[in-house]
Amino acid sequence: MDGYFLGLDKLDENIKGIRAGSNIMLLGPPMSGKETIINNIVYNGLKEGEAAVIVTTREPGENVLQWFEYNNLEIPLEHIGIVDCVTKTLGVPTGDTVNIKRASSPVDLTGIGVKISQFLEEFWMKKNLRKTRLCINSLSTMLMYSNIQTVFRFLHVFTGRVKAAGAIGVYLVEEGMHDDQAIATLKQLFDGVIEVKQENDEHFIRVVGMGLKPSPWYNYTIDGADLILIGGD
Amino acid sequence: MVETGIPRLDKFLGDGIPAGKSMVYFNHPGVEGDVFGMQTLYHNLSKDISCVYITSSSNPGLMKDYFTEFGWSIRKFEDKLTIIDAYSSLVGDLSDEKYIVSDPENIENMNEIIIQVMKDVPKKSVIMVGSLSTIMDLCGEEKTLEAIKLWNKMTLMYDHVIIYNFTAWPYSKSTIHAIKDKIFNSVITVGGIAERVIFGQYFGVLKADWADHKAQSMLFRVLRPGGIKIYIPKILVTGPFDAGKSTFVHSLSTRAISVDRLGTTIALDHGHIDHKGFSADIFGTPGQERFDPIIKMISGEALGIFLVVDSTAPKDFVRAKQMLEITKGYGLPYVIIANKQDIPGAMSVDDIRSQFNIPEDVPIIPVIATESKGVFEAFELLVEKITGGA
Repeated sequence: MDGYFLGLDKLDENIKGIRAGSNIMLLGPPMSGKETIINNIVYNGLKEGEAAVIVTTREPGENVLQWFEYNNLEIPLEHIGIVDCVTKTLGVPTGDTVNIKRASSPVDLTGIGVKISQFLEEFWMKKNLRKTRLCINSLSTMLMYSNIQTVFRFLHVFTGRVKAAGAIGVYLVEEGMHDDQAIATLKQLFDGVIEVKQENDEHFIRVVGMGLKPSPWYNYTIDGADLILIGGD
Repeated sequence: MVETGIPRLDKFLGDGIPAGKSMVYFNHPGVEGDVFGMQTLYHNLSKDISCVYITSSSNPGLMKDYFTEFGWSIRKFEDKLTIIDAYSSLVGDLSDEKYIVSDPENIENMNEIIIQVMKDVPKKSVIMVGSLSTIMDLCGEEKTLEAIKLWNKMTLMYDHVIIYNFTAWPYSKSTIHAIKDKIFNSVITVGGIAERVIFGQYFGVLKADWADHKAQSMLFRVLRPGGIKIYIPKILVTGPFDAGKSTFVHSLSTRAISVDRLGTTIALDHGHIDHKGFSADIFGTPGQERFDPIIKMISGEALGIFLVVDSTAPKDFVRAKQMLEITKGYGLPYVIIANKQDIPGAMSVDDIRSQFNIPEDVPIIPVIATESKGVFEAFELLVEKITGGA
């Protein structure tokens, strides 16, 4: 299959890969390890020689890179591009680096869009990388600064770009922060949802919309950077 | 006339924007269209023209820092620059600016401040709306369209020029129609050439109600520092063996490389030039006949040609003409480089024209490539021909 794997073994076995051009929402409650899930998805792509563009609205770009370093995960830096929407808002006088381009704020969707496009061009045209994972962490922060219609328009353009580039997009959304209508509106743009839930201090994950029926819920634990799927219910 | 400061765009607009007019940079998402407005603002500040900048997607300090990425220090023009801060209140920041929109989601509040500033600043100021799309996102499409009409009217009343940066997100059809066709005197489209990804950017005049403009687009690149540069992706340099093609490429280029053996080019010369707002990649071919297929191949993609001849070697003119014939089928503009003018016995431009039987409208430029004499004049002339300026 000319597609992608999340790198999350049992889920991948169940859904048998993700078609190039797919856009997926990662939806779950706070403190459920979504950040580790998205970082694992990025890392597993980088290991396979793919590229990754990460839009960070919650922490500076340097912190995103440090997560991999702290967890002793070696990543090819020339394959990674970060759009940092945080550092400039903190008033820190820091310029762009090879891996990090900084937008002026999460409101600056024009600037964020330009920087995503620049990384996509760089990976495709200059580095000849044909597979890219675009991860936006998180849409919830964007929705704190801009209304749903504005974010919808932005996503309408960039989910289209992901399709055109044969990439995959993963977009993190905090459950409970938005009303059901907002989630339903956003879901129109996605091909599937990775759902995360918490029950009795245990975490579960499943994929909806990538196959004929949803995958089973898999219990998972997080050990450092590792996401361990225990079994389906 | 207020100049945009964008190479070639002012020419398309008939030397710039007349007082009282409105213009929008209609930017497709993902392309660096906002730099157009910034370059226009900086260009006018540096000409001592009073300017106003409405910032709605970043705070004024960050906005000024962003200008410095392009080598434009707008802080030195603070006496000429008025900032309307329509951002800080949105994120709960304090602002040091005199003009602050306290509720950026309220178009009435926005109107009040903008109109006040239009009255306060000197007549014939340049008003720049940093991100019209952000205002539209915050205040709604219909209300913003009504506000634009009011701002444009005030612009006319006070002889200002108002310029908007607009990112064309998928707004309603009626909004896009109003912006492209109805409410502005001029619309400059800034787009991306996209297949899998955006790999090139262009601009063109969609509308300018005061000028006779041609429907023509220009490729551009954004340099840091430097800003918008018209980009010509391929110029061919050809000519007989030992005419000085490689020397010409190297003398013209900001950076260049040649593939040669024993001093003779056996593959290609490649150079890149940034000159007077134009940026180009130049490809020189070897002069021997066995390499003619390369000329054909590059001509198919080139936008213009330099034909380099040795002014002291009229015997090679037949070969030069033959090389020109190979490329002629592509109908490309060309300039003839009469090289080695410093060597005794070099033929004059007039002699070359008559011996070569070159029509009067084809430029022949006397050049001494070893001393970079005449090379930039030749470049400027070819760029004029390529971009429709000559």
